[in-house]
Amino acid sequence: MSKPYEVLSLDNLARIPVDEGLEWRPIRRRLGIRSFGTNAYTSERVGGWVVEEHVEGTGHEELYVVVSGRARFTLDGEELDAPAGTVVFLPEREHRRPLLLGHGLSPHVVLTLGGWPDKPFEPSAWEWYFEASEEGPERAMEIIRDGIAELGERPWLVYELARHEARAGLVDEARAHLRQAVEGEPRAAERARADEHLAELLP
Amino acid sequence: MTRGWEVAGLEEIVGPRSRHGFDWHPVRRHFEISSFGANANAAREAGDVVVDEHDEAHGDGGQEELYVVLRGRALFVVDGEEVEAPAGTFVFLRDPAVRRGATALEPGTVVFAVGGRPGQAFVPSSWEHARFAVELSERGDNEGAVRVMEEALAERPDHAGVLYDLACFEALAGRRDAALEHLRRSIELDPQYRDYARDDEDFAPVRDDPEFQALVAT
Repeated sequence: MSKPYEVLSLDNLARIPVDEGLEWRPIRRRLGIRSFGTNAYTSERVGGWVVEEHVEGTGHEELYVVVSGRARFTLDGEELDAPAGTVVFLPEREHRRPLLLGHGLSPHVVLTLGGWPDKPFEPSAWEWYFEASEEGPERAMEIIRDGIAELGERPWLVYELARHEARAGLVDEARAHLRQAVEGEPRAAERARADEHLAELLP
Repeated sequence: MTRGWEVAGLEEIVGPRSRHGFDWHPVRRHFEISSFGANANAAREAGDVVVDEHDEAHGDGGQEELYVVLRGRALFVVDGEEVEAPAGTFVFLRDPAVRRGATALEPGTVVFAVGGRPGQAFVPSSWEHARFAVELSERGDNEGAVRVMEEALAERPDHAGVLYDLACFEALAGRRDAALEHLRRSIELDPQYRDYARDDEDFAPVRDDPEFQALVAT
């Protein structure tokens, strides 16, 4: 039986490198939170990313809280200096979603929170991709299979499974999963063309 | 053209000071976040309450909660156990029935609280309205408090707690008929409100009314 409560510090959180110095510090997955998404981000260096460049296209609303240090957000090209205590909200009701990017300007922690208005929370598949990204192919496949067990055969999870299968030399399995991913999400083919492990498996 | 984001410093998000003794920063309400609850509580002095002792099994019920200590240091008491929590500590309560509360160990301690109900679309907690209504009432604006609780009732028409709070402020505002009708409905939905009403000072203006006496009679 899981404990009725849990306490941890930032130092207890895994530190998973993503891109441009960005470190994902998974909170929701670590604690098993089921009603909202939440993660912390740090950067391995001053000036590194603290929020990856992205546009939300899923109807997800997001709240960013600068917990310590100072960050600079870029929202549709507009720069925003954000010292500790700054709260940035990107509502779902704004259909024009800004292109968001954050840089850490000093040792810092940014807490993110997210969810969907009017529907129950479901975890995002990227949590599993990020966790698998630094692992060897066998462990990465295990992580992605856990994601599929929890979320179902979402095309991008199946795509990631194909990628790690290809890394492991499981060519037939990788080819079949890549085909399945592209059937569910045609953009997966474009991504696969640029992937050193998957490009040659495309029909 | 409206921009697609909003920004504020916590100090710019000002709500009523809680009767428990902390400054409340109603983040969810400020931004009209509609997918999770989010608030920050700030203590002015060491020893101030920074999370009022409560559980999530009562009231609106069923929430899991995450507390993040943003500044300072807090002493949480969770399920009877003391947990010292410096800035950067996360306290997650997955069981709504667990009692939880915290006091500041340093001046300026800030705790950020987030909550939601697993498997359900988010609905704001009714206490957010009640906290604003109490502040108005304490400033003598009972009509304003009634308006706030009427907004809450529009969101949750069959919420016994909202009906009860509305009845309280209506009684204080001299709206006898509405107060008794909303109290009656509240007791129908949850009979525990009969016991609360019996000794609640908010009903002093109608205490001797035979209809009130009949409503609270066992």
